[in-house]
Amino acid sequence: MNRPFGKLSYAVLCATGAILAATGIGTFALGKAPMTHWVLMAHVAVAPLFALGLAAVALTWADLCRGGAPSPLNIPARLLLWVILLCGLVVILSGVVPMTPLFGAKGQHFLYLTHRYAAIVLTAAVLLHLPALARRN
Amino acid sequence: MPGFGAVPLRFLLWRSRRLFFLAALAFQLGGGAHRSGAEDLYTESRTPFLHNIPLHDTQGRVITPPDFLSEDGKPQEPKASPYSPAQTCGKCHDYGAISQGWHFNEDMGAVKPGRPGEPWILTDPATHTQIPLSYRGWPGTFKPSNIGLTDYEFLTNFARHFPGGGVGEPDKINAGDREMGRMLITGKMEIDCLACHQSTGRYNHEARFNALKAEEFLWAPAIAAGLGAFSSSRTAASIADSWRPGRPPPSTLPAIRYNRACFDTENNVLFQVSRRPPAANCYYCHTSQTELGDARWHSDLDVHLKAGLLCVDCHRNGLDHAIVRGYEGEAQDRSISDTMIALRTALLRRDNAALSDDDARNLARRQLQSEAGTIETLTCRGCHTSGRLGSPQMVHKGLPPIHLEKLSCAACHSGPFPASQPQIVHTSLAHKLGLPAHTRGETAAPVILEPVFLRGAAGKIAPFKVVWPSYWARLKGTNLTPMLPVEAAKTVTLPQPSSDDAARDPYDAKPLTDRQIQQALESIPADSARGVPVFIAAGKIYRMDKGILNSWEDSAAKPYAWALGHDVRPAAQALGARGCTDCHSADSPMYFATVAAKGPVEANDTLRKQMWEMRGDDKTVASFFAFTFHFRPLLKCVVFAAALVVMGVLLHYGLRGIGAISARLGGSAKEQP
Repeated sequence: MNRPFGKLSYAVLCATGAILAATGIGTFALGKAPMTHWVLMAHVAVAPLFALGLAAVALTWADLCRGGAPSPLNIPARLLLWVILLCGLVVILSGVVPMTPLFGAKGQHFLYLTHRYAAIVLTAAVLLHLPALARRN
Repeated sequence: MPGFGAVPLRFLLWRSRRLFFLAALAFQLGGGAHRSGAEDLYTESRTPFLHNIPLHDTQGRVITPPDFLSEDGKPQEPKASPYSPAQTCGKCHDYGAISQGWHFNEDMGAVKPGRPGEPWILTDPATHTQIPLSYRGWPGTFKPSNIGLTDYEFLTNFARHFPGGGVGEPDKINAGDREMGRMLITGKMEIDCLACHQSTGRYNHEARFNALKAEEFLWAPAIAAGLGAFSSSRTAASIADSWRPGRPPPSTLPAIRYNRACFDTENNVLFQVSRRPPAANCYYCHTSQTELGDARWHSDLDVHLKAGLLCVDCHRNGLDHAIVRGYEGEAQDRSISDTMIALRTALLRRDNAALSDDDARNLARRQLQSEAGTIETLTCRGCHTSGRLGSPQMVHKGLPPIHLEKLSCAACHSGPFPASQPQIVHTSLAHKLGLPAHTRGETAAPVILEPVFLRGAAGKIAPFKVVWPSYWARLKGTNLTPMLPVEAAKTVTLPQPSSDDAARDPYDAKPLTDRQIQQALESIPADSARGVPVFIAAGKIYRMDKGILNSWEDSAAKPYAWALGHDVRPAAQALGARGCTDCHSADSPMYFATVAAKGPVEANDTLRKQMWEMRGDDKTVASFFAFTFHFRPLLKCVVFAAALVVMGVLLHYGLRGIGAISARLGGSAKEQP
């Protein structure tokens, strides 16, 4: 892994993910969903950075986390990375696909719920991944 | 009670007392106030009953025009009493129940007002007056009695588009009342069933208008239906003018000179009526025209009509005529009156004599409550969700669901396509559409604008029609007392239009300059007890302070707004069909169209607001959000590219993992002997 780039990618993922979680999950947790106004704009503005961070993490961390590879990461950290990548993919796709004329009202609503709950799982995975990283092999 | 033509008054009095006794007996036996003698002679078939029926006058007598020749061989005119819709149609259809319907119950206090609708606008171009009126108490309107307008004056102003019943048909006529007492001569204004239900297109609204203008309320239904003509050279208004309160009315009143051809050999008249009136009948009162003058041919009309539906397919009603208005939440606004329950109870007991009255009443109430719930399926959303009447299901591809929570269906689908300014719209009720007149131009009062995007029920953005009130008034504290046009004409010195102007366009009047408003206000006599003279127009109050004309925006002058539902545009012409920037752009009409207050004042210092301001939205948010849409394509590209990378990585390592598992399983198999 290109360590500085990998760490930067991970840092971008975490920082943007925190903002997205605060705006998205925070609004939901406060019972004020869906997001509107400045909160929505902040969410949408940060989303591409998160997507780029996720792509960079995928490129720089995946090889470390593949099965059987020599890696300083422990098993939970490796497994959680795949969960993060998978949920991240679902989250960014379910966020951007509604901006295309592919789905009607029902499909849009399904994507909205998918986005919400995949984001909750993703946040949980990142929160578990951080301490798992600290416990290296 | 006056007679008609040669019918002696004494006979009528005797007859009416007898009828009253019989009616009272029937009332007791019928068990409800709504029973008006209807015999419930329903065919219960979907084949319309041929209404070849006898006419009845207000006393319930069959109308029989005299033969062409009298017994002594002299020609006779076919004169007889005017026909009464209440008695003629009411023989089989419960007139009492019908008169509780939405079109007729405006003055019944127990009826919930529901969503604010189109008001009656008392308009007088000469005094620059336009006052929104409603008996229903919609916020922003005046009740006629609150500004000193009697029910009779209301009728003389608006009978042209008033369907009858309600205030046109008071329970009692006070003979001592100078105005209502006139009804002893003019008759009550019964519900004219044919105005809506005549299906031949031969109902003559102009003839009805002329009859009502002459206060021939009793005669108007026969005249409008083409059954005959008013038989006197004196109008009912002129006869009423010569009557004085307290005196008995004339013993005979003009008859209708009937058209003999309308009567068959058995003295029946053929009414071609329909339970499902054609849209053209509804349009007499419910036309909204934005393409003025000859531009009308550009209008596509409502997409539902083009698809073959009728207005009454959605705006339907039962015998109670509690017509479905069709907005979301209407079920909560509907009153289930005692009359409706009594009517349903009677029907239930007719079909099941074993039901006790109490059980039938309870069942009737439950049924009506259940039916009120189902009217939600007749809203836009209800119909296009349930698929009623073959309506296509809502699809809304590419539209984030939040739009369905923040916008009414009409916001994107109804009214003229929004532009940088709302358009001037003429309506039947406000501009006397349906009646011949001089060209109604853009300045014809009252000036109404649409679409103006405001927040409606549940805070949803919806398109509205708006009109700014305009009137002379006295202000005492915070209380405004409007002057009626008659008083304003006497009190206020106003510039007189040249006779040429008035002849060319009586609907129009030149806007007032500040100087003219000042002169007019100064001409109103001081009266500290009644308050300071003021002029309300175009969203402002004008008032003299120490010889200087001041004006300011005031909530008392704010526009009255009512939601528009039609004409509905097809999905391909909805807002948003061309993309998000139909609404989310720096010049989108929904946020940034300019609404200039309209009224009879010069446009120098007109109040102008953008749509976001009319709604109380935040301009910065709206502008910035619209600005972000410049970056939407880039956002999509970045996110899709990132998704492709992540997908590629997952696929790559996923396939490698599957390969490794396969190799391991294959290797294990080789190792086995």
